[in-house]
Amino acid sequence: MKAHSLNAHAVRRDKTATAARGNAVKFSRRMCVGMATLVVIAVLWYVATTGLGLISAGRFPAPVDVEAAAVQALVRGYPDTTLLVHVLHSLRLVALGFVVSVALGVPLGMLMGWNRTAEALINPVFLLLRPIPPLAWIPLAILWLGLGDEAKVMVIVIAALPPAVISTQAGVRGVPPHIVEAAQMLGTPRLRFVLDVLAPAAAPMIFTGLRLALQASWTTLVAAELVGSLAGLGYVLNVAQQDLYPGMILVGMAAVGVLGAGSTALLGMAERRAIGWAQLRGAA
Amino acid sequence: MIASRQPLPLHRSLVLGAIGTLTFLGFWAFLARSGLVSPLFLPGPVAVAERFATLTERPFAGGTLPAHVASSLQRFLVGYLLAAAVGVPLGLTMGWSRLLDDIVTPIFDGLRFIAPIAWVPFAALWFGTGIGGPILIIFAGAFPPCLINAYRGARYIDARLLEAAEMLGTPGYRMIAEVLLPAALPSIVAGLRISAGLGWQSLVGAELIVASTGVGYMMVQAQGAVSTATVMVGMVAIGLVGVVIDVALRALETRLRRHHGQA
Amino acid sequence: MSAIRFERVEKSFGNHVKALDGVDLTVADREFVAIVGASGCGKTTCLRLAAGFEAPTGGRITVGGQPVTEPGPDRAVVFQQFALFPWKTVMQNIGFGLRNKGMPAAERRERVAAAIDMIGLSSHADAYPHQLSGGMQQRVAIARAYVLEPEVLLMDEPFGALDAQTRVVMQEELVRLARKNPRTVLFITHGVEEAVYLADRVAVMTKRPGRIKEMIDVKAVREAERWEEHARIEDVMDLESFVHLRTHIWKSLRDEKAAGR
Repeated sequence: MKAHSLNAHAVRRDKTATAARGNAVKFSRRMCVGMATLVVIAVLWYVATTGLGLISAGRFPAPVDVEAAAVQALVRGYPDTTLLVHVLHSLRLVALGFVVSVALGVPLGMLMGWNRTAEALINPVFLLLRPIPPLAWIPLAILWLGLGDEAKVMVIVIAALPPAVISTQAGVRGVPPHIVEAAQMLGTPRLRFVLDVLAPAAAPMIFTGLRLALQASWTTLVAAELVGSLAGLGYVLNVAQQDLYPGMILVGMAAVGVLGAGSTALLGMAERRAIGWAQLRGAA
Repeated sequence: MIASRQPLPLHRSLVLGAIGTLTFLGFWAFLARSGLVSPLFLPGPVAVAERFATLTERPFAGGTLPAHVASSLQRFLVGYLLAAAVGVPLGLTMGWSRLLDDIVTPIFDGLRFIAPIAWVPFAALWFGTGIGGPILIIFAGAFPPCLINAYRGARYIDARLLEAAEMLGTPGYRMIAEVLLPAALPSIVAGLRISAGLGWQSLVGAELIVASTGVGYMMVQAQGAVSTATVMVGMVAIGLVGVVIDVALRALETRLRRHHGQA
Repeated sequence: MSAIRFERVEKSFGNHVKALDGVDLTVADREFVAIVGASGCGKTTCLRLAAGFEAPTGGRITVGGQPVTEPGPDRAVVFQQFALFPWKTVMQNIGFGLRNKGMPAAERRERVAAAIDMIGLSSHADAYPHQLSGGMQQRVAIARAYVLEPEVLLMDEPFGALDAQTRVVMQEELVRLARKNPRTVLFITHGVEEAVYLADRVAVMTKRPGRIKEMIDVKAVREAERWEEHARIEDVMDLESFVHLRTHIWKSLRDEKAAGR
């Protein structure tokens, strides 16, 4: 812990203000250049496809194709229902898989982080199974559970569980010993210790793992749906590819990107609310 | 309730590890043998090992196991080396040139959230089932860590090194090649290792969907033919290759770090 | 009765490090004893043994006649790094130990409010540790310990992480507190002046492996020379009797450094 003078507050307030102003300048400059780049790309896109016809519509859609596809997806529906229905379908599976992974992974990680014997027993299984990429489980999952939702959720859990466990374990290991000792000295009963001391102390690292788990969930879901599915964003992409409908493919990819970014942002909001105290500290 | 702060003595953790492994394998074998699940769907560990041996010699879905692995590795190497060849220099230059950083970062951030696997249908459209498809996917998976780590290595370089180089009148390209690159090397190499793992994973995904050879393809065919043992062999093979690649790159990382005096 | 008694206490870590080699020390009921010594001499280990964070490898430690087996609120600890829970407010931090004891909420709030008042942080009751300066955080840690009404207070270089001015303020406050609300205190420090200013007796520890080299009775001198008549710490430290004690201890420690390697 750094020593603070009694004037620390005043000094810190000043520094933050200056930094904030500097950041504001940087930010607007980046925005200008960013916008300019986007404009250039948009123009190039239009010129290459529609204007000069350098790229045929069968290879890469023109802006107008993408727009048409987007309209169709949102309004009339493609392949069978609207984009929203497909999005909800995928979203449901990701949410389910993610929640199950967290519900299993965080307690397991806490156990393995706290208890070395448990860790020594469980680790080998982890080590054996980890090199197998989650996507490689898809054929097995389909064999076992069919082409439906269950197989997808299984693979999502396989993908999202390791990051959740590992970062929770690291978080528990990283709790400063004096925090643990203070809690012991204060006579903390076991359950309260886990919920009210260990979990909050490990929370920053746990959230890092959750972010990774969410990312893994999306990747795996899309892949699983691409391999075999009857609904969802991956299904949309599949059919669009078979129908040679590049505009729709782009719409599908954009949807995947937006959902990924959106869910990550949501998680970030939850993180800030849960561990606001850690954000302001800098180094934990 | 004192936490076990001290790591377990080596012999103890080895014994416990062995117990854990054996319990896992034993449970697996028991389930397979018990008849609770049809052997069609859950071959035991021994059956999988046997199948592994068989596939090294007898072809399945167009080739023996080594042939499929070679095919996958080939694609992987092309995509991975391409990602490194583009990502590292670009990342370094971005770390150096604020303008380039401002241009590329928004594009990168926008595309970053699209899982590499989501590029598959697009790749299929452009390249059909040719080699271009999987390579694009591998590239999509391996490119980000290469770029990010090279960028970070260059960006967060000690400012005094840069000032010294500027004072000595270093021209642009030499700045990148002889100042930024060596200083960013640890970060770059770590990025190369991470992107190898991601690239290999993306390859697997791609091969499950659009390929006519390779381990992923073999697994999909095996799934269709309900040859679970083959599917599992594929999983093991993928895992093994992944481990070998990672170990090799870690060794390279250690050697490079020692060579550059940062062990 | 809450005396701390170290009887021929030995402590080794692994096969190589012998931290303590036969420590005999008694802290009488309501007595304030400081242990001084060079870094690594084992003084913090003594505290940790009394707290129950470690167990001795030889001899025994008793508090109030009972052997020490595990940490608990009867032996409250104030850590050098404050060890406040960053996700809890000042009030929640101070009240945590009382919650563990099962104290009903109303009574708890009262006690915590009194404690916050005692340390002068009533306006910061809902602040988080990171919003406070180091001195304020340590005050919260002291309040957290005091509010438990422990038999024994164990303080491990509590002012070590603070800057010089804050340290002086804290020392004056601790003296005020200790005289008003005396408890059995074991205070670890490597600051000789701090020890002489705060303690009733000062134990000088040898270098590793640690033993108690000598005990200096400060209280007798303090009362005879009437140090409490001087409000400010720098005035006390100017007194001849203070300087005499301080120099004596310095010399004792210096001999330790010179002896052996």
